[in-house]
Amino acid sequence: MPKWFTPAVVICGLMFAVAPILIAEAPYESTMGLVQKIFYVHLPSAWMFLLAAITCGVASVRYLFGGNPRHDRIAWSAAELAVLFGAITLVTGPLWARKAWGTWWQWDVRLTSSLMGWMVAVAYLLLRKYGGPGSDKLAAGLALFGMANVPFVYISVNYWRTIHPTTNVVPTLPTSFGVPLWFSAVTFLLLFVLLLRMRIRLEEQRTRLDALYLAMDEHR
Amino acid sequence: MTFLRTFLVVLLLIPAAFDLPARAQQPPPQQQDEFIPIEKLPPQDQLPAAPLLVAAYSFVALALFAYVVSVARRLGSVQQELNRLESELKRSGRT
Repeated sequence: MPKWFTPAVVICGLMFAVAPILIAEAPYESTMGLVQKIFYVHLPSAWMFLLAAITCGVASVRYLFGGNPRHDRIAWSAAELAVLFGAITLVTGPLWARKAWGTWWQWDVRLTSSLMGWMVAVAYLLLRKYGGPGSDKLAAGLALFGMANVPFVYISVNYWRTIHPTTNVVPTLPTSFGVPLWFSAVTFLLLFVLLLRMRIRLEEQRTRLDALYLAMDEHR
Repeated sequence: MTFLRTFLVVLLLIPAAFDLPARAQQPPPQQQDEFIPIEKLPPQDQLPAAPLLVAAYSFVALALFAYVVSVARRLGSVQQELNRLESELKRSGRT
């Protein structure tokens, strides 16, 4: 692991300890009250989900056109994080919606496209696990669809009628809501980087292991 | 032509004829003449926010913890396998 990894883990741990205090001290939103505090984990995890889908897509493009296995390892690792953060987004969202909207789920464009993006990431992982030889290239192609879906997820709320808040909410947040949100977002970003590095390390070690097995077979 | 017209009119009237008694049975909408505090609602109509909030934060904590443990375990087993193979190769003088 690189030298920065351990200090970053400590910083991330401290930030995760401080974040609940900031969230608890944030004021209640006028119409939603206590349940609005789900926002401070829902939105950062949604951002990390989109970031993971973009990372997976960019690495897949570079792998498809450059053929460097390192990019494939990054794409595979990012796809796993897209599934993790996507699952968090898709679970915390309905828990918030049940109280705020009176329903768990709406088949509107933001929610449906997010679910679709998550399913693409799940499909990527299934393809890598059970696809056999050649699945790396096929999965890289699939990752492009996941990445193409990201701008659609983001801007959909501004163009289609939906009960999901628009993208104008965050830039107009008062400081009392903004500070815990941005602190939480930076914490999630740091966690994302750490998890990605850890997951890439796992793929690197697996590659080394495969190379060792090959070397042993050649010597027999 | 007249037959066809009559047929279409009857066809359109049939659902309306079935719908009329159903509409007649519905009570007229009532105007709200008082505010009721949420505590006075029956328990099934009250939806407290705290369990939803706790469920959301618990899920986040559990999901992140489970993922970190999963990656650490996979990394640990691969590392163990690597060490075993490397020492085996060293012992047989193939390094």
